[in-house]
Amino acid sequence: MLKKLLLGSVMALGFAGSASAETVSILMEGVPDTEYVKALVPEFTKETGIEVNLEVVNYAEMHTKLVPQLVAPKGSYSAIVVDFYWVGEFAKAGWMQPLDDRIKADNFDTSAYIPALMDLVGKVDGTTYMLPFYNYAMGLTYRTDLLADAKNQADFKAKYNMDLRVPQTWDEYLKQVEFFTKDGFYGVVNQGLRPDPIAMEWSNYLFANGGEYHDANWKPTLNTEAGVKAIEQYTTNINKYGPVGSASFGFDEAFNVMAQGKAYSYITYNFFRTSYDDPSKSAVVGKVEIMPVPGATPDKGGSLNGAWGWAIPKSSPNPDAAWTFLKWVESKEIAKKRALAGGSPTRTDVFDDPDVLAKYPYYPALKKLLLTSHNFAVFTYTPQLVEVLGRELSLAVAGEKSPQDALAAIEVEFTELAKKDGKLQ
Amino acid sequence: MMVRMGQASNAADRRDRRFGYALAAPSLTVLFLIILFPVLSALFTSLHEYTLIAPNFDTFTGLANFKAALGDAEFRHSAWLTLRFVIGVVLLEFVIGFGVALMLNKVERFKPVYYAILLCPLLMNPVIVGLIWRMFLHPNLGIVNYLLGTIGISPVNWLGDTKIAIWTVILVDIWHQVSFMIVLLLAGLSSLPKEPYEAARVDGANAFQCFVHITLPMMRTVIIVTLLIRFIFAVKTYDLIYIMTRGGPGVATDLVSYFIYRTAFVSLNIGEASAMSILLLTAILALTAYLYRYMRSLN
Amino acid sequence: MRPGWRNIIPHIVLSVFSLAILLPLIWVVRVSLTDKLTAYKIPPEIGHVGIENYIEIFSTYPFERWFFNSLIVALVSTAIALPLATAMAYAFARFNTGGAFLRLGVLASQMLPPIILVLPLFTLFFSTGLMQTRMGLILAHLTISLPFLAWMLVSFFEGDSASLEEAARIDGATRWQAFIKIAVPVAAPGILAAGLLGFILSWNEFLFALVLSGADSQTLPIGLASMETHAGVEIAPLAAATVVSLLPVFALLPFLRKYLIKGLSLGALK
Repeated sequence: MLKKLLLGSVMALGFAGSASAETVSILMEGVPDTEYVKALVPEFTKETGIEVNLEVVNYAEMHTKLVPQLVAPKGSYSAIVVDFYWVGEFAKAGWMQPLDDRIKADNFDTSAYIPALMDLVGKVDGTTYMLPFYNYAMGLTYRTDLLADAKNQADFKAKYNMDLRVPQTWDEYLKQVEFFTKDGFYGVVNQGLRPDPIAMEWSNYLFANGGEYHDANWKPTLNTEAGVKAIEQYTTNINKYGPVGSASFGFDEAFNVMAQGKAYSYITYNFFRTSYDDPSKSAVVGKVEIMPVPGATPDKGGSLNGAWGWAIPKSSPNPDAAWTFLKWVESKEIAKKRALAGGSPTRTDVFDDPDVLAKYPYYPALKKLLLTSHNFAVFTYTPQLVEVLGRELSLAVAGEKSPQDALAAIEVEFTELAKKDGKLQ
Repeated sequence: MMVRMGQASNAADRRDRRFGYALAAPSLTVLFLIILFPVLSALFTSLHEYTLIAPNFDTFTGLANFKAALGDAEFRHSAWLTLRFVIGVVLLEFVIGFGVALMLNKVERFKPVYYAILLCPLLMNPVIVGLIWRMFLHPNLGIVNYLLGTIGISPVNWLGDTKIAIWTVILVDIWHQVSFMIVLLLAGLSSLPKEPYEAARVDGANAFQCFVHITLPMMRTVIIVTLLIRFIFAVKTYDLIYIMTRGGPGVATDLVSYFIYRTAFVSLNIGEASAMSILLLTAILALTAYLYRYMRSLN
Repeated sequence: MRPGWRNIIPHIVLSVFSLAILLPLIWVVRVSLTDKLTAYKIPPEIGHVGIENYIEIFSTYPFERWFFNSLIVALVSTAIALPLATAMAYAFARFNTGGAFLRLGVLASQMLPPIILVLPLFTLFFSTGLMQTRMGLILAHLTISLPFLAWMLVSFFEGDSASLEEAARIDGATRWQAFIKIAVPVAAPGILAAGLLGFILSWNEFLFALVLSGADSQTLPIGLASMETHAGVEIAPLAAATVVSLLPVFALLPFLRKYLIKGLSLGALK
């Protein structure tokens, strides 16, 4: 009886909340890219007569707020934005509407997107659920003025018998980290807070050493030489070449160390690149540049890819209006306007646009970063994997577990999750 | 004669009882309508395999969720950690809070000013408190370590050291919540009658004797209720952990409410999270019942 | 000890305590008047000073909407909860209504982590059209403050006003009159303190407000938390918003003066 009541009330909610047909309600996060969309929304309302209601919440709480909305048959949101690591979970639970029919009917060209982003926040197992909104692939941000300094160049040459220049390989970069750590100045600042900051940042170390999360059959490949080296290097960077406390830094704390001019480098989300040039936040305006995280060899990159996608939830009260908005906001014209305002593009044609390039000379580096980046293990249980990684890596950095033990523990739980998801037989 | 008096008092008792229920009825109705369904739902869910990825009550699993929860070393760790955390904050806040409340009860001048100041942290959301203290406690760029540096203390790794982090969280929690105790205890103190103190003074009792023999016994129920309520809130601490440490470094600050939150909304395993919550509820309820009986027995 | 000292010691203790509370808040005020770059400068320097953060919270963020929503929800839910809880607490204390079972049962729902209650509550609210409304939030907060307020108040009714009530009853007062005219005034300091704490409970409540609110009913905690983003914490506007949201406390000062002094005299009435 109670079972029926519960099921009935979860499954049979018959009507929408406050959203009417003329309003598209979207739950978003207060990042700059949201602000750029917000600024352009009046144009959309003028063109179509559809009002847009953007509700902004804290990034990390967004998932908590979304879940009940998505479980219900009818919710309050016409469209949503999806972080890449929710993609597997949302797809598995059937919370997003397939977009393929709409894309076909309107001849929306998805080949304009950078393929890696389409894989990450576009298609799942051949079905298109999302349009890539903005990317936040990670890159190496470093101090150009320190590299150009003649004394540094001479000292570096004397010590390592090689030139001080933009690092071509991961090992070269690690030498620079060691070199720049002196007199209260740090070679690197890290974001060691669990779970996602540490898991995301460490992934770059894994890829830079030539490692991957799993092989083609989803068998974990972490407890390998690359994995162990990645943990050892990460721990050394935090404990020896970084400021006290970086084991508990989120990206904001780490960014501030870099922005105050107290560190040479920081591997972080590429949208922080613009913040370094904001004089109200940064003491190093014009002195920081971004590049792909270097790999084992100069032709390989070690960057972790990341992005948000637009989706229409199953529970959307007005999916047609939501699609009208999506195809407008992701059109070349509007995507270009967003990029010109400072947004992180996802479309190749926006990256190559002469106006955009003229305004942001570092965009070719960003494009290269995206093209050489690696994807995280995206499956139904990505959030749990991030939790496990966060816990075990944090224990390893704190010296409470050896790299091998931590990696072994991660592999056990990763295997369990991959099996539960049917990825691994 | 006796019989009639008995009847009369029975009738009065009945009317008393009816009056009591009439007074409690509105509250009970509200609680019944809004909270009963969620509570029953939690009980029901704890006995089923229920994840949000496939939300249905198809599989009755009996006590499997409870077994899984109790068998999880991480859960046991956070439960044990929570117990120590809760005892720490509640006792420290009580000692400081009672001290301040006693002093406040003594003064007249500036009393509203003191009171307004101590209300300020209470009106700040834990999320804000966490973010602001993270800024103060930044090991390299924070004002706290800078000030300590000026008197020759080397930078403290407030949130990044497994031994220090939990104490940092406790200190911030005290700053934030100690006034909760003060407000309640002061209200208790200010409703105490004056006569016993006057009588004691005539008998030559000093301030300490008055405190032990008059204040403490008369404040007993207020103290127990204050401790109990603060205790229940402390067990539910999760926002502060979430903002300040996310349970780290390692698992040094992984309190049980944050653990349950992750089980429910990251792992989406509502069944097991409900089972953990019921276990938690049982523990708190047992303690509350014990305190309640203790309180009654003293009266 | 001379009497002079006796009066000064409490002030010393209270000043030290007030300073411990105030110093961090003063630093928040400072951060609110500068930018993020200056806020993190070590050693500290005066740097940039300006009021643009205060302008920003009203221009970029809908601060006034958050504030208004929080105020309405907290005031209304407390205004409903306080009389209801007072009546229930009196019933518990004087007539032992429902016994220990009911008393513990009322509080039991609050011993569950709210994350477990929020999903069914969402379902309930959605099917009754309360979702994303301020009314919904008021009801949700009512379920939190009612049990706590009742428990706090029981202890204030268990004092010795019972004998006063009995005397009044013998003089011909009804049960209701004894409750309203005697018990409530005697417990006034407790009722006001409980009201204050009930307001604070609702004012700070995060999870229900997060899941059950919409763009128009967003409360202050949810709004302020949105300043922590994937691209960093907007710490300077956040500090400004914190300062503005604390100002009402000082508007309370005249009321506090009255309540704190009056609270004492009511207690002395016994």
